[in-house]
Parts: sequence; structure tokens; C-alpha cells
Amino acid sequence: MDLIRLENVSYRYYDHIPALCEINLAIDKGENFAIVGANGSGKSTLLQIMAGLIYPTEGRFFFQGAEVTEKALREKGFLRWFRQWVGYVFQDSDVQLFCPTVLDEILYGPLQLEMGDEEALDRASQVMELLQIEHLKDRPSYMLSEGEKKRVAIGSVLSINPEILLLDEPTNGLDPRTQVFLVELLFTLHQAGKTIVFATHDLELVGEMATRVAVLSEEHRLVRIDRTENILSDPDLLLQVNLIHEHVHRHGPIVHRHLHFHPLPHQHEE
Amino acid sequence: MGNNIPSFLLGSSSQQPLQRGGGKIGFPFLEKGVDHLASIVKQGYIQWEYSFRNGFFQRVDARVKILFLLFFLLIVSVKKEVIPEVGIFLFVLMLTVLSRLNLLRVYKKVLLFGFLFGFLIALPSALNVVTEGEILLPIGRLSKSYRVWIYHIPQEIGFTKPGIYGVAMLTMRVINSLSLSFLVLYTTPFHEIIRALKILKVPNSFLLIISLCYKYIFILVKTIEEMHLAKKSRLMRELRPAEAREWVVSRMAFIYRKTRLRCEEVFKAMTARGFSDSLRFYGFPAMGKYDWAVTSLFFCLGIFLLWI
Repeated sequence: MDLIRLENVSYRYYDHIPALCEINLAIDKGENFAIVGANGSGKSTLLQIMAGLIYPTEGRFFFQGAEVTEKALREKGFLRWFRQWVGYVFQDSDVQLFCPTVLDEILYGPLQLEMGDEEALDRASQVMELLQIEHLKDRPSYMLSEGEKKRVAIGSVLSINPEILLLDEPTNGLDPRTQVFLVELLFTLHQAGKTIVFATHDLELVGEMATRVAVLSEEHRLVRIDRTENILSDPDLLLQVNLIHEHVHRHGPIVHRHLHFHPLPHQHEE
Repeated sequence: MGNNIPSFLLGSSSQQPLQRGGGKIGFPFLEKGVDHLASIVKQGYIQWEYSFRNGFFQRVDARVKILFLLFFLLIVSVKKEVIPEVGIFLFVLMLTVLSRLNLLRVYKKVLLFGFLFGFLIALPSALNVVTEGEILLPIGRLSKSYRVWIYHIPQEIGFTKPGIYGVAMLTMRVINSLSLSFLVLYTTPFHEIIRALKILKVPNSFLLIISLCYKYIFILVKTIEEMHLAKKSRLMRELRPAEAREWVVSRMAFIYRKTRLRCEEVFKAMTARGFSDSLRFYGFPAMGKYDWAVTSLFFCLGIFLLWI
């Protein structure tokens, strides 16, 4: 059975601005799945629907065969079950961190699961050790750098131990060392059996991490779902959805034009 | 990193089967508040969309519309008979239709506010306790009449003819003022309204502050919506009212801090682009024949309404 299934899902912000048009998509358990598209194509909206934070204007969303609706998420049993399965990491860590200190952030989830204080603290320490943020535990979130905030935001979700992690632009605005750390962390979590779904327009990240990719167009439609290598080796598709562009530059005496995407091989014209 | 991964993350804590039920979660005040905030953005978007439609009033210069609004608000206030007020109502209704606005959307608001702030507030003044005159609609009878300080409470209580007339006048004035204002608001982009205020000699610095406030309201509303979703994504049970209040207070502090930082950044950005203590706005182009024709039409009509 698919872990996530979307059937003809459309979404309009404020009943007017289209964000997604007729999306059909299925994700299996244990996948490492990327959603790619240009800015404003609807990647974040799609992730938020999968996280049960907003609801499709049209169409249906199923999680493990159960339809996720506003009404279903008002049932205490369903809400707890769903939120324990699905963790969501926002692009802007500032909006995600709302507890007084880093430790409180990490403890928030376990305490909500009615875990004992000792067990919750033990879990929080393990997560902080994994993310290398133990030294920050007494700091408020506004005294952290962007990279540190991202680690805390991920930690606040990991402490719930969700089976599926949804990440919106996970490497955006991070320094190279934090980016590498994050990619390694996601790899490890995937190897541990977690399902990873992330939205990005960073094709290098997609190439490094994802096994399957869904491509959204600027018209908010799903244009293709395929294996990563097939998507990344189709420059026409990437050009069409505005994920790569053609540019002219100089290599010493040679001026040449090529598609701007480094993983794509290109040859210099003589 | 593989060796560091905590054992609880390697196991699955969430494999319990789905158990439906367990009671319902109410619709807390937080959700309602965020819904109201979202409606601000929605209204802003609807107003922007209407103002760019190809309708009669949308094509008119914003300065003409501002002067029209002030002139007709003056006429609405000085007229003392119901018939001219009804005439103005029909005229604005016609302009609304010609401007291709959604009548239901506009007049739903106009009539609601007209009912609340015109009819309902003025209704008690129609009683013979306040306005003397011939009773048209009796509502009760006391055993005798009373005199309390300067007030005379008659034996028979009811709505009087002059009282009802006064309520009708006030209600019509409120409805007309609102429909005129909504007509201009829905047919003019906000930035043009602001620029058009220059003809009333509103200082540029004041206009800049209004424009910035309008813009940042939308940005802050978006931030609040995102914070609410972030909270929702980690919420596994019903939020107790005290917890919700705590969250609201902490987020208010966050928004205040963010606003202050944003304020400093905006000021630096303005300084970097040459801002000093004086401000200059891009002026309006000269008015065309269409604008002059509409101005003349509105002016003649206004004089006629004042005259009758």
C-alpha cells in the first residue's frame, strides 16, 4: 500500500490564487523522494498538504489508505496517529521554533506523547548529540545562527520519531558545512528506514539524495515523476520547468553557451 | 554519523494501528483568529483583482475618484430628504454594475454595516421617549406616564413618524457613504489611492508610512499563518486554552522582535537608495478626455442633487 497518495489534488490560496492543479502522486514507505520545481510552482503547498496542515481545494489525500481531511484531523485518535507518523521541517526555522529554549523545543514532542520526564530527557539528549547542539540547549532560538536553528528545527521533529520526514528547502540559506551535515543526516535517517520527502530547486541536492523525483511546472502541474537519473539527464524538461537556464560565459579565450547546471556534462566549443 | 544515530530512531515508535475516535477537537480561538487574518489577505487580493478589471470606474483617474468620493459624501451628509438619498443609492448601484463589481460581495458588506451602524444604533431614537410626534407603531402601554429628570416617558410607547423618518435618513446616509467608499476602494489599486491623496495635500512622509504599513501587514499576516502551521505540525492533542494563550504571548514577542529588526533593515535599505528627510513621489500623468468628461458629469450631477 502507498504511504502517501494524492488523487487529483488542486489547491488555491484564498480561493483565488492557484497553487496546485490536478496532482496525482504516490510515495512508498522507505523512499527518498524529491519534489522539484521553480519558485512559486507549488512545492511547499504540496508538502503542506502531505503534512495535513492545509487541505486540498479539490481532490483527495490518503495516508496509509486513510483519507486525511480537516474533519479527520479533528478526531483525537486520528490526529495523534497522523502526527506521530509525519514530521514536517519548515523552510523558515524561525517560524518553527516557539519554545523558550533549545531543550524545550526538543522536549516538546516527547512530552506531548505523554512520555515520562526521564525518557523524554534521554531522547532529547540523544537527538542533541546526533545534531551536535548539546552546547546550545539553554539558549533561546533567537540567539542561534541559521544553521543552528535548522538543526534545532530538525531535532524538534526527530524527537517525535516520525516515520516520514517532510522537508521544505532543507539546505536553503545554510553554509556549506551545515549543508554537508544535513545531507549526511538525511542519508543516515533514510538508511535507518525513514521515508524522506523534500522539496527543493537545488538539483545538486536532488542528484545526491533522491531516488525518485516529481517535477512541478510553473503552471502548478505535475509534469513528470521518474527516477532521479532519468530526470536529471533530461535537459529539455529541466529547461521547460525553469530549473536550468542557458548562459554564456568565458573560459580564457573561449566564449561559449551552455545549459547552466553543473552535473550536466558539457563540452567547450572550439 | 551512522554509528551516532540514537537507537529510538532506528526502531519505530509509531506503528500502532490507527484508532479512530477518542473524541473531537474543538475549533479553538487560535484557529478562528488565524482564519480572520487570512481573510485580510484574501480581501486585499480581491480588491487588487477588481481594481484591474476593465470597468467604467476603473478607467477613471484616481484623483477624480477621490474628489468624487469627497464631493458625494458631502452631498449625502447635507441632504435632508430620503428621495435624493435613494437617488444617490441607485446612482452608486449603477456605477457598481458598470464597474463589473460583484454586487453581492459589495452590498452584503454595505447592508450589514448600514444595518449595524445606521439602523440599529439609531432605532431607539425613533421611540416617542426621544422623538415626539404621531405614533405609527405602538409597542407597549404603561399604567401612567412618568417624568424622570428632564425626560418625559409617556403612557403609550411607540415609534413616531418623525423618529422613523430620522432613522431612515441616517440609515440611508450610512449605506450611501459606505457604498461610495467601497466603490472607490474596489475600483482603485491601493497605491493609486495613496498617491491621489496628494491632491489633498497630505504630506509625503505620511503617505509613505501608510504604504509601508499596508505592505507589511500582508507580510506579517503571512508570517503568523506560517507560525500557526508550524505549531499545528507538532500538535498531537487538543491545545488547552492556557497553552494557547502562552503560545500567543510568546509569538507576539517574536513578531515584535522581528518587526523591529525589519524596521531597521527597511530604514537601511531606504538610506542605501538615497533616502533623506524629504520624500518625492512619482507624479500622475495629465488627465485625459475621458477623465475630464467623467469629472464634468459627476460635477453636474452633484450640483443637481444639491439643488433639488
